[in-house]
Amino acid sequence: MNPLDLLRFATQALLQNRRRSGLSLLGVVIGVVAVVSLTAIGEGALRYVTTQFASLGSSIVNVSPGKNETTGGMPHGIGGVPNDLTLQDAIVLERRVQAVRAAVPVSVSTDIVSYRERGRSSRVVGVTSEFQQLQRLDMASGSFLPESELDRGAAVVVLGHKVAQELFDNANPLGATVRIGSWRMRVIGVLQERGQQLGMDIDDVALIPVASGMRMANKSSVNRIMLDLYPKSDSKPVIAQVKKILIDRHDEEDFTCISQDAVLASLSSILAILTLVVAGIASISLGVAGIGIMNVMLVSVSERTDEVGLLKALGANQRQILQIFLLEATMLSSAGGLIGLASGTALVELGNLLYPRINAATPLWAIAAVLGLSLGTGIVFGVLPAWRASRLDPVAALQGH
Amino acid sequence: MIRVEGLWRTYQMGDHELHALRGVSETIEDGEYVAIMGPSGSGKSTLLNLLGCLDSPNRGRYLLADEDVAGLGDDALAETRLRRIGFIFQSFHLVPRLTAVQNVEMPMIFAGITPSDRRRRAESSLAAVGLSDRLGHKPNELSGGQKQRVAIARSTVMDPGLLLADEPTGNLDSRSGAQVLDLLAELHAGGRTLVVVTHDPAVARRADRVVVMRDGEIVKRVRGEDINDLNGLFDISSEDDPSKQDMNTAREGDETKAVVPEKPV
Repeated sequence: MNPLDLLRFATQALLQNRRRSGLSLLGVVIGVVAVVSLTAIGEGALRYVTTQFASLGSSIVNVSPGKNETTGGMPHGIGGVPNDLTLQDAIVLERRVQAVRAAVPVSVSTDIVSYRERGRSSRVVGVTSEFQQLQRLDMASGSFLPESELDRGAAVVVLGHKVAQELFDNANPLGATVRIGSWRMRVIGVLQERGQQLGMDIDDVALIPVASGMRMANKSSVNRIMLDLYPKSDSKPVIAQVKKILIDRHDEEDFTCISQDAVLASLSSILAILTLVVAGIASISLGVAGIGIMNVMLVSVSERTDEVGLLKALGANQRQILQIFLLEATMLSSAGGLIGLASGTALVELGNLLYPRINAATPLWAIAAVLGLSLGTGIVFGVLPAWRASRLDPVAALQGH
Repeated sequence: MIRVEGLWRTYQMGDHELHALRGVSETIEDGEYVAIMGPSGSGKSTLLNLLGCLDSPNRGRYLLADEDVAGLGDDALAETRLRRIGFIFQSFHLVPRLTAVQNVEMPMIFAGITPSDRRRRAESSLAAVGLSDRLGHKPNELSGGQKQRVAIARSTVMDPGLLLADEPTGNLDSRSGAQVLDLLAELHAGGRTLVVVTHDPAVARRADRVVVMRDGEIVKRVRGEDINDLNGLFDISSEDDPSKQDMNTAREGDETKAVVPEKPV
């Protein structure tokens, strides 16, 4: 049979029973929509995380005190932290590791930041002037912390957007003096609003020189050292170098050194696996839809038994009859696949309009898989009914038995 | 020439065998018009199905133009039906979703004839049965007589040498039945071999020859024109077995149901 004739014949047969064809089509559509939209959400989450990391600066290496393996998830200090990270460590790392553009020691504490009668409990973060470039921070007004000697702590502060908003409403905070704990600090700048970023709210901080931060917390060590690498440097050799230098200085590996890349990579792979699992569950519904198609085709064959008998009497051979019914099943499933893809994509776009932050998009592999799967469903589940039709005894079939 | 020799067709009905044909032998010349008559369950439809290569005998030979088709495989039988045999059914068997011309085109689709050729041949075939003005009508828009004429156009469109008709006028009123018989006579006059299964003496009378069957055997052969009253035929069946259904009152519907068993062996 000429493929075009086959196609027309199958189409006409499907259109003869619109409701039944439509319902089994719907089964496939639902399965495909599920796969398309769920993978799109997974992909969107992946992209979201990736761009978040990119805005943090992709080539950052974090050094924090304590060895993950030895502390075993216990709070720092309990697992044994004999040597804290010091300002001197930061200076040495910046000087001796070639790829490091800047080493930023960071001290973190929580304190009440207040202005006149208003106060707000915020994270008080001690950093250096290089922190601005490392975190790609933009100023809403004023300027960032000035360059200075690491151990010289001026009494100046840069406020995050939310802190400035809370304390000053719409008044200009520049030049005002705020209290942090028992310290008085002059506001020299306000950060631009940025929003929550991977659990760290950069809007709700007060940035001060690291020496001031350490003094305020009464500590001689820092909470971590952030290394900002030159663009396109490979973090692996840097980590090796950092480890070597610090082990030299501390006599043991009592710190953890990870690159942002590694965090991103492991997070991405978790998300990818999650997406795959969800898509796998969704594709089970395609299998269910396939059984629906098989059912419809079996009913169709038994209802059209006399037609099969007629086709045989007119001279159709078994292969031609097999082709006709197999094509009907395949058309149902692949039409379902296409409609499902279209409506799934529409759904995803609608979701993007409502929640623009997660830029959901169905990945190409999922589109290819879902189309292949729906086509395969029709073939696999269409074979049995079609084979049955082709084997009907023409005499009995003509009588409708 | 069609020749069958010692045809047996046996069906397994549960634990006993039912012999639908018991060694039927018959020769039909090319261009002959033969009517098969007989009471319900006499095996006449079974014989027609065997002649039409829809079924295979358990025993015996079937020579269609000197070729033994009894032993052919499914595909070869399909090919034989496609090229050499045309069927006309009591209930027309048109595909309801297709138009008249599409119904007529169907055998040509299986034969792989190009669409333009197909169209032309289907149209001329429909013209030959007087339905040029009904090409685009679907079966439910046609009268019974028109449906059967579409079916006749379909049966002849591949130009087969042998036409087989099972109660072709069974579902028609007498006027459209007569039209159909006229068409069959025309086709016969055009040189085709015609085998018709019928209850209707008016149909049988137009045949060259009438073959009467009973209990799976041919019991009588008469010339068509000799069928003036049914009593002559009747004698055979009612004399020996008064319990047998009267042919006058036998309904066409019973015929097909009675002959076809549930499961062929």
